[in-house]
Amino acid sequence: MPDTQSNASPSTQFGPEDLERRLSFGNIGPDDRACIEEIKDTVLDNLEEHIDAFFTHLSRHVEAQGLLRRPDIMEEARRLESEHIVAMVGGSYGQGYFEQRKRLGELYNRAQLDVALFMGAFHTQMSSIGGRIMQRYPTDSAEAFRHMIAFKKVAFFDLGILVDAMMTAREQTIRRQQEAIRELSTPALQVRERLLILPIIGLLDSFRAKQLTDGLLQAIRSHRAKVVVMDLTGVATVDSKVANHLIQTVAAARLMGATVIVTGLGAEVAQSLVTLGVDLSRLNTVGDLQGGIEEAERVLGPASPRGDRHPVSIG
Amino acid sequence: MPVPVLKQGNVLIASIQSALTDRDLLQLKDELAEKVGQFRSRGVVIDVTALDVMDSFATRTLRSLAATTKLRGAETVVVGIQPDVAIALVELGLTLDGVATALDLEEGLEALRAAVSVHRDGG
Repeated sequence: MPDTQSNASPSTQFGPEDLERRLSFGNIGPDDRACIEEIKDTVLDNLEEHIDAFFTHLSRHVEAQGLLRRPDIMEEARRLESEHIVAMVGGSYGQGYFEQRKRLGELYNRAQLDVALFMGAFHTQMSSIGGRIMQRYPTDSAEAFRHMIAFKKVAFFDLGILVDAMMTAREQTIRRQQEAIRELSTPALQVRERLLILPIIGLLDSFRAKQLTDGLLQAIRSHRAKVVVMDLTGVATVDSKVANHLIQTVAAARLMGATVIVTGLGAEVAQSLVTLGVDLSRLNTVGDLQGGIEEAERVLGPASPRGDRHPVSIG
Repeated sequence: MPVPVLKQGNVLIASIQSALTDRDLLQLKDELAEKVGQFRSRGVVIDVTALDVMDSFATRTLRSLAATTKLRGAETVVVGIQPDVAIALVELGLTLDGVATALDLEEGLEALRAAVSVHRDGG
């Protein structure tokens, strides 16, 4: 869902411009690239060791089991980690590098890897690589430090992309789930002409209550509904804020010429509403959905064109 | 812009076409109060479909209009309140208590027919 993140900062878009910006943030200069080139073989000669360092760190934590227990993901993760290190010392930090990092971030997100744990493992891997770099310059510690710092620059640049990729993937998952819940949450079902049923299931918060109001009013217009049965059987708790919102929904529906019958208020919900002192006198409540539909039929039915809860009952 | 009032049988239909000034509203109230008696109307439909904003003055005027026509022997139904307007009104606490509402003109006329015929049966 690329267009649902209109408010996301450009840093999480992973486009070419973003890459350029990140490179300038990372400040990887020609000197650094030269240093990296110099230590390239040192790093690559012990590739397996560095990868093992990463996964050994993870294996010590139960939080990483989601990743380690999935052979398919593990295989891909090892492969990507390997490509990752090769690319880090490859000297070319272009779009391909970027994409690969993004894939790795998404993979770790899919495996529900904790970001802090990932950082720890990443650092362990850097230590493993750093150890080899130090060994390469046994006598000249200044030189070793210079090369280590150059490598670290790339590592930090890298970490920035990976963490952002993980975060972005996580946000997208959350957004997708929210969207799915939202779509599921408020169907307005037409049972017969002029009669809508609105079953509400799950947690009602202010956001959902507002959405429910909007959806219901639109449905009243499009179905030309005269009576709406709002069933709260599936709602475990209602607080005073949401109760007030429901009252507002009922009032707004009345302004559009529809009567709302509330059904399925559980014993606990009813008690808590009374305890909270919410004024529900304006709500038209019936015990269960069946009773609500019967009441609606009575209001709508030809036998009683003007029931006492009819929207145009006047006087 | 004044609101045109149409006579349809024993019902008066006021169809609001554009945003109203307070003066227009008061004028509509006076005119309807007058015409209900003049035409011996039994019902009044006020169509607000075209309004995308209603304020406290408008709702107060509509309520007093409904009460006035009631005293003159006609029921008033407000029709065509838009979903957004409905939400805005209840959020402001302007719930038009005591005024009958209906989805649109057709529904409003239907409702009046039912209400008036019941009156006749009762009388």
